[in-house]
Amino acid sequence: MKKILICDDSSFMRTHIKTMVTRNGFEVIGEAEDGLDAVVKYKQLKPDLVTMDITMPNMSGIDALKHIIKLDSNAKVVMLSAMGQEALVKESILAGAKSFIVKPFSENDLIKVLTKV
Amino acid sequence: MSGNINHEPMIEMFVFETSQQIEQLEKHILDSEKDGSFSREAINDIFRIMHTIKGSSAMMLFKDISNLAHSIEDIFFYIREENPANIDFTYLSDLILDGIDFIKIELEKLNNGDPVDGDASKLIEAYKEYLTALKKENSSDSNNSDAESKSQEPADNIQYYEMKKRVDEKNYPNSYKAIIYFSDGCEMENIRAYTIVHNLKELAADISYIPADIMDNDESAEYIKKNGFTIFFKTDLSYEKVYELLQNTIFLKDMELYQLENDDKSEQEKESKAGISEAAKASDSSRNQDNAGRSAISNMNAPVQSMISVGVNKLDKLMDLVGEMVIAEAMVIQNPELEGLELEGFHKAANQLSKITNEIQDLVMSIRMVPLSTTFQRMNRIVRDMSRKLNKEVELRIIGEETEVDKNIIEHISDPLMHLVRNCIDHGLESPQERILKGKPRIGVVTLEAKNAGNDVLIIVRDDGRGLDRERILQKARENNLISQHTDELSDKEVFSLILLPGFSTKSEITEYSGRGVGMDVVKKNIEEIGGSIMVDSAPDKGTQITLKIPLTLAIIDGMIIRVGVSSFTIPTSSIRESFRPVANSIISDADGNELIMVRGEFYPVLRLHRHYNIRTDRTELSQGIIIMVEQDEKRLCIFVDELLGQQQVVVKALPEYIRKFRRIKGIAGCTLLGDGTISLILDIAGLMTV
Repeated sequence: MKKILICDDSSFMRTHIKTMVTRNGFEVIGEAEDGLDAVVKYKQLKPDLVTMDITMPNMSGIDALKHIIKLDSNAKVVMLSAMGQEALVKESILAGAKSFIVKPFSENDLIKVLTKV
Repeated sequence: MSGNINHEPMIEMFVFETSQQIEQLEKHILDSEKDGSFSREAINDIFRIMHTIKGSSAMMLFKDISNLAHSIEDIFFYIREENPANIDFTYLSDLILDGIDFIKIELEKLNNGDPVDGDASKLIEAYKEYLTALKKENSSDSNNSDAESKSQEPADNIQYYEMKKRVDEKNYPNSYKAIIYFSDGCEMENIRAYTIVHNLKELAADISYIPADIMDNDESAEYIKKNGFTIFFKTDLSYEKVYELLQNTIFLKDMELYQLENDDKSEQEKESKAGISEAAKASDSSRNQDNAGRSAISNMNAPVQSMISVGVNKLDKLMDLVGEMVIAEAMVIQNPELEGLELEGFHKAANQLSKITNEIQDLVMSIRMVPLSTTFQRMNRIVRDMSRKLNKEVELRIIGEETEVDKNIIEHISDPLMHLVRNCIDHGLESPQERILKGKPRIGVVTLEAKNAGNDVLIIVRDDGRGLDRERILQKARENNLISQHTDELSDKEVFSLILLPGFSTKSEITEYSGRGVGMDVVKKNIEEIGGSIMVDSAPDKGTQITLKIPLTLAIIDGMIIRVGVSSFTIPTSSIRESFRPVANSIISDADGNELIMVRGEFYPVLRLHRHYNIRTDRTELSQGIIIMVEQDEKRLCIFVDELLGQQQVVVKALPEYIRKFRRIKGIAGCTLLGDGTISLILDIAGLMTV
């Protein structure tokens, strides 16, 4: 079972994603509330996959992504973005994000992305 | 969105989180308005909050909320990036607050299970107009021409693509052309296309693609949507391998892959004239080293957050169960069948059980405690709106907002507090001119203070306004037949507490904010319903102070169990001052036949409980029973009962509706079960004093 770390400052989004992925046979091994938390939890938990919100307090998802890639160049990070964040999505792809998904997304889309990554 | 999602708990979470964010947002807006500027931090926070709300509500398919949040986000994105001068903060705050109100109403609908059907289009229109005006004004101010290019990130955030050709380019034998179509609605097709290029660059060379400007021009997404993304490259991989690789593309709808003969190269060149051929080589190493706080991270010891959120109804249930457990424990330990038995071991074990039960009880109570800060902070908005409407300058000072009370109680004091704050501003505070004439500071101060006092919390609402007018209150009370003639004997406190009586209002004209028939009597009633009390203090031109004394919790109280005939009653220990056996001749009767007792030179009224409730008992002589002196609202009453049975914690249960609504028996606050299974009525001291 693939282990997922969910990073989002909104507990609503975290729960939502968690429900979706758990239903589809992924295991959520951790949740992070901001970028800093995400980096720390990545080190601790060594997840197979990370979903990363871009806009978060303390440290943005992109900075967190850069740190995670530095720790583990093979890290599989999927960015969660919204319309209007094209520039940030580009930056994150350059920084090593494996893919991205645009909010609002459906369960289907999310699972598709996670499975392929 | 897939239809099989169970929405109920998601809605609850959505409402919960969004309400919190809205409150935070409101605070930011009000603070910023006060300071006359938006701090960097506030702008970032507001932007982030709107962004989160946009995302969450879009997930829940609440389009109007999402679009509204989006348009506010746009405004703050612009403010963040362009730092425009001359923002009219009051106007902007008004605009945003309207949006906040819209979302609040929608959330309320969700809470009540109603459909979310508000129409935000007018508001969104207003935001767009505002943003356009702001941009226009700002670009003419400082010839910043690119103010319109909204998605332009500051330069140091962008990692530009390197255009250099690989020097050590291998000569790959196979050339391919692929056309890739993405699934509808996957968004940002240009960046998805770039992801393919990015993934290919390890395995291929001579990469070129159409459209070529996928990274620099977001319009290219539209082109890809219509025509697909065409890419040429050279690699040593076989057709099958390449096919498999590209099949793995996320959100792939359709794909065409052709292996090109070498002379097909011309086709490639011809086609790619449309764009610029570039060798894909991203500089992975030369990332901007943002050094802010970087090194700190690796040394950071993980502060593992361990918080979960629990539904209030679960906590209520838990509280109920603990209550039942306390009763059950008493039923076991005080079981009549144990009487007279020598049970040393049992009592030891029972003591241990009691200890644990108490601890659980304390813990459950503490879980239910929430700070008053949210309730207090909500007053900021009221103060702001009212001071502007009434042209008064008001400063709200908040003290002790971290004080905690039971969740149930918070719900009951929010409205009364709002009313009191409104009263302060509307009736209490003078206009700025009047204040200056009186030699007071121009700006009126309303203070909200909370503090612990034993088992109670005191909440004080204070203003430094004109104070209560004793003569006008008396006159008004006389007009409404609220008092008898001898008014000279009344102390100031007694006069001031007249404003708490039903049907009292000194202001002749009814304003928008206070005095719409909902008077102080309603405040008093609400506070008394939760076992609290209210006190009024005032001095002319110094101001008025209203003190609410409310219990920490409603669920469990310390009570003194007493007996009258065969009935048992419980008196809240917190209101008991003393108990004593009366001497026969210390009682006198006044002209109306009311009994008074003299204690240390003071007379106090006597209430014989058996007479009051018509209970048959053999102890009717004062010398046979006992008197309990209770105090409430600084008034004292001596209650005559048969005997004291002991003190214990009791779980408060509401009275059955029949007794509350139809019989309207005064002086009973609730009931409780005792250890032996009998029902004991809990006396409502304030109620007993008015009978």
